[in-house]
Amino acid sequence: MRRFFVALMMLMGATPALADCPLDLGRGTGWVVFSDHYMIAFRPDPVRVEVGEPFALVLNVCTKGGDPAELIAVEAQMPEHKHSMNYKAAIVASPNGRYRAEGLVFHMPGRWEISFDVRAGEESERLSHDIILK
Amino acid sequence: MIRLLLALVLAATAATATGASAQPLLDWTEEEVRSIGRHGPWPPPPVRDPSNRVSGTPSGILLGEHLFNEPRLSGNGKMSCATCHQAGRDWSDGLARAQGVVELDRRTPSLWNVGYSHWFGWDGAGDSLWAQSIRPLLDAREMNGGTERVGTLLRNDRALACGYEKAFGRKPGNDDELLLVDTAKALAAFQATFVSPRTPFDDFRDALLAGDRGAAARYPMSAQRGLRLFIGNASCNACHFGPRFTNGEFGDIGIPFFVRPGEVDSGRLGGLTRLAESPFSLLGKFNDDATGENARRTRHVRRLHTNFGEFRVPGLRQVGRGGPYMHNGSVATLEDVVKHYSEVNPDRLHSDGVPLVRPLALSPDQSADLVAFLRSLDADVPPRPAAPPLCP
Ligand code: HEC
Ligand code: HEC
Repeated sequence: MRRFFVALMMLMGATPALADCPLDLGRGTGWVVFSDHYMIAFRPDPVRVEVGEPFALVLNVCTKGGDPAELIAVEAQMPEHKHSMNYKAAIVASPNGRYRAEGLVFHMPGRWEISFDVRAGEESERLSHDIILK
Repeated sequence: MIRLLLALVLAATAATATGASAQPLLDWTEEEVRSIGRHGPWPPPPVRDPSNRVSGTPSGILLGEHLFNEPRLSGNGKMSCATCHQAGRDWSDGLARAQGVVELDRRTPSLWNVGYSHWFGWDGAGDSLWAQSIRPLLDAREMNGGTERVGTLLRNDRALACGYEKAFGRKPGNDDELLLVDTAKALAAFQATFVSPRTPFDDFRDALLAGDRGAAARYPMSAQRGLRLFIGNASCNACHFGPRFTNGEFGDIGIPFFVRPGEVDSGRLGGLTRLAESPFSLLGKFNDDATGENARRTRHVRRLHTNFGEFRVPGLRQVGRGGPYMHNGSVATLEDVVKHYSEVNPDRLHSDGVPLVRPLALSPDQSADLVAFLRSLDADVPPRPAAPPLCP
């Protein structure tokens, strides 16, 4: 967790071009995933994800070109065991342009892959990020 | 002669002394110590259930204890919660299948540490301890009490009426459904106090985390080896996770779910249906938590086809004192449980990925180690004193 945090900070410091997309979600913690077109910054709430405990994700979704981007779905699965969450996250857009994905539960320790379906105009794409829970 | 004796005594004490300090301790890796740490600390803080207005209140707990032992809540006036959930039997009954008005299809689970769960019953049809406590009162195969009977008893019995007023701050009124829910809330407040004592495992865990090798080495070698299997190669802790040794969710470990020829217990799948139909779920009007925070799981839970034949992962504290095991009591002893995990038929377990349960093919020594570890999760329980009167 702390390592990701450092990585995020370095990314932010080293890439002034990203300044348009507010990747700092407050509290100084979070992760960034990006593809050729999109960038997503997110942090869990509460900050520490515990096995079996519900949590939410606070997210910012941006395109690299600065076009508006939309978050369509947040899912998670354990790739090794090929099972998803027992819960379905609900996405709420807040007025400040951020999203909140509510109702996630990682019910086992191990590797979880979070996937984000994002869309800008006609183009949609799936980005993903791994979290290892111990 | 005396000198010889003295020498002998000295030698003997020296031997026991070095014997004690040289008690073996496995070479635990940092990773393993972290995994072990996740099974504590114990005990957890007392339960406070925001959906239950009398949770954690002494008057609610006391009323709950009286109601728990109250046979007049049942249709035939003979059965109480304590008929099946017996204090002297670790809050269960020792039977493979519960005996209500008729024999039921499932085993009576122990109620140890039940207040820390978030899904209740083998199928998780209940999303709060109080909602789960309503079911046996109404179920025709269990206590067959009925809503009216509960209300009438609370209004007409002087001691219970007085205990009710102390707990809820009002006299029992005429709304029978509300009295049923309040009865269940008092029952829940009482059951939430069933916290199992500390065990040899807990002493080991704490000593290991504190770096106290001497104290950690008091934990028998066989239990240590069994624990290493549990958190390692056997990955039992994928499901039996956390201080209670359950992640609180559901799994399929290959226990047959046929109830009778041609009839199955669909487990979690049916549980989700019953949850959605229940007027007493946390999404209903009886939830005392105005924030709705505690209903998050109920709001977001979803049906998956894999829910068919899944049952709740049982906690493992006090497990060696119980038995028979599993949702249908189909496995007699702890040794048999380990044999099941060692020999389970992989065809029965549909899994696309790396299976969570697979035949472990344990050696006899490994099996004995795993059992020794499971037994180190047991603690003796002092006898319970009788409940003090409600309104002396
Ligand atoms: C006839 C025996 C019987 C009686 C009487 C009985 N129970 Fe149970 N209890 C069971 C069985 C069987 C289950 C498992 C039910 C299921 O999975 O659907 C159970 C499950 C429970 C659970 C869920 C435990 C868990 O770990 O999720 C609670 C709580 C509970 N009972 C409380 C009560 C209360 C309170 C009463 C009295 C109002 C009561 N029971 C009366 C047999 C009984
Ligand atoms: C996939 C999740 C999962 C894994 C992995 C798993 N268990 Fe279980 N365990 C369960 C479930 C679910 C049940 C109840 C099954 C039922 O009743 O049908 C259970 C039941 C048990 C019981 C019986 C408890 C009782 O009160 O009836 C014991 C003991 C047990 N497991 C020990 C182990 C051990 C030891 C391992 C590792 C070898 C293990 N489990 C691995 C999910 C799991």
